[in-house]
Amino acid sequence: MPLHSMSLPLPPSNAPKAGDDRFRLAMTASNIGMAIVSTDGIWLEVNPALCAMLGYRVDELRGRHYSEVTHPDDLAISQHLVAALVSGALASVDEHKRYVHRDGSDVWVQLNVAVMRDEDGTAQYFISHMRDIRGEREAGMALSARAEERSAELDASHRQLQLFADAVAHDLRAPLRSIESFSALLHERAAERLNETDRDYLARIRAAASRMTGLLAALTELSHVTRTQMRIAPVDLSLLADWVGAELQDADPHHRAQISVQPGLQVEGDERLLKLMLNQLMHNAWKFTCERSAARHAAGQASAPSAPSADEPEPVRIEVFGERSGDRLVLSVRDQGTGFDMRYAHKLFEPFQRLHGPDQGGGHGLGLAIAWRIAERHRGQLRAHSQPDLGSTFTVELPVVSAGEDTPNA
Amino acid sequence: MHKEILLVEDNPDDVELTRLAFDEAKIANRLVVMGDGAEALDYLLREGTHADRAEGNPAVILLDLKLPKVNGLEVLKAVRGTAGLKSIPVVMLTSSQTESDVVQSYELGVNAYVVKPVEFKQFVTAIADLGVFWAVLNEPPPGSLRAARRYE
Repeated sequence: MPLHSMSLPLPPSNAPKAGDDRFRLAMTASNIGMAIVSTDGIWLEVNPALCAMLGYRVDELRGRHYSEVTHPDDLAISQHLVAALVSGALASVDEHKRYVHRDGSDVWVQLNVAVMRDEDGTAQYFISHMRDIRGEREAGMALSARAEERSAELDASHRQLQLFADAVAHDLRAPLRSIESFSALLHERAAERLNETDRDYLARIRAAASRMTGLLAALTELSHVTRTQMRIAPVDLSLLADWVGAELQDADPHHRAQISVQPGLQVEGDERLLKLMLNQLMHNAWKFTCERSAARHAAGQASAPSAPSADEPEPVRIEVFGERSGDRLVLSVRDQGTGFDMRYAHKLFEPFQRLHGPDQGGGHGLGLAIAWRIAERHRGQLRAHSQPDLGSTFTVELPVVSAGEDTPNA
Repeated sequence: MHKEILLVEDNPDDVELTRLAFDEAKIANRLVVMGDGAEALDYLLREGTHADRAEGNPAVILLDLKLPKVNGLEVLKAVRGTAGLKSIPVVMLTSSQTESDVVQSYELGVNAYVVKPVEFKQFVTAIADLGVFWAVLNEPPPGSLRAARRYE
């Protein structure tokens, strides 16, 4: 039976009645602070636990107004709550509150107040419970301080790692330039004087240097993409995709591009980064489609109906489309290339992970990590779905331009 | 064609590649090389071991950022802060793409900031283009060796 609906007798300062003794015993023995408070706010009865909590003797607290030991910052709200209890606006109070210890320190308590009413419903007095929560608060604050510390440590170590990676990449450039340049010069000056094996060895040096160069460039890009300040503005993804498509065709006139881009793909983000991301995704699509068509050609398979002759490679089909979903645009880049084994999909976006060897068109394994990081900075997650030899689709959710802009065709 | 180009670079490989690049671009200007920032300043101020050098400033200073003793930014600051030197064109040639380095260099008054390419062909093109522009095409501020001779 909830306390506040009981009609209890008047406080024990009147002549004791049957049942009073048990209540008084309970109050005295309880190790939760308790007080019986008049509707004016006078502490009519206080128990030893409450006194110990506040550092006073029973006779020092009994008869005092609660405001005398209430923390000044909590005074106003206490008065408000008391008035609400009396008027019936509130049935009970369950709040954190600060009292002031005799020594001046703060005493945080969990305060529960119930109203005792007579048969007419008039408030007669309050029964208050005060549970000392100082220990809990300290523990809680220590915990959240520790969590903040840990988070700052993680941040710092992250930054340190990035700085280290940057420094290494930076310092590798000069020696790499030496290797790349002097092996190229050697080839220019001495190729005729070298025998076939010598030339082969020299070629391997140059190839390795070239791979390192690509890797270093990608590392620099990954670092840049992670650290650069984003400039958020409305971005026309359709335009960017068309642009990337044109660049892909220009770079590889041998293959015929069939790139379809859905018009009206508008998002909000950093244009340079989004172009970079599209670049990575569409470049991959192109690369693995060419790989597949080359593999089929090499295997002597009959060319697809769309290829006009057996010698001309199949056109490279890439689709870029989008669908609205709430306040985001789900962007997809689909190809009909080599595809990959979905069992390893979770490794796809990790730096340096490659699911295709160099013979299958695999690169340095950073391209998708870069795309993934850009997606993450736009608070979207890059996902991939594939079927080996049928193609892959990469999707990412991006924020849409705020109200007032045209929505893309669904 | 009497303008000097001052290259301040501590990496001997990069010095050799720069020479090669200038040769390939048929840039005939004399290339003066200083291996650290302190010596570069001695040369420019005609102090220390360079006290007897002929008067006149180089047509352009190609300055690396990371140098022993006195680094590139400090050299740039000194050049821009010295009355007789402050108008010499300075091109920062560096491996660093760090935004703060770029910003600082421009704030200190660098004329151009070029990141040294890793690939040889691109390096040669970049150096050659720089040489042709700053040492051949560009009209240097008065006080450069060529200008000094011209008005003699």
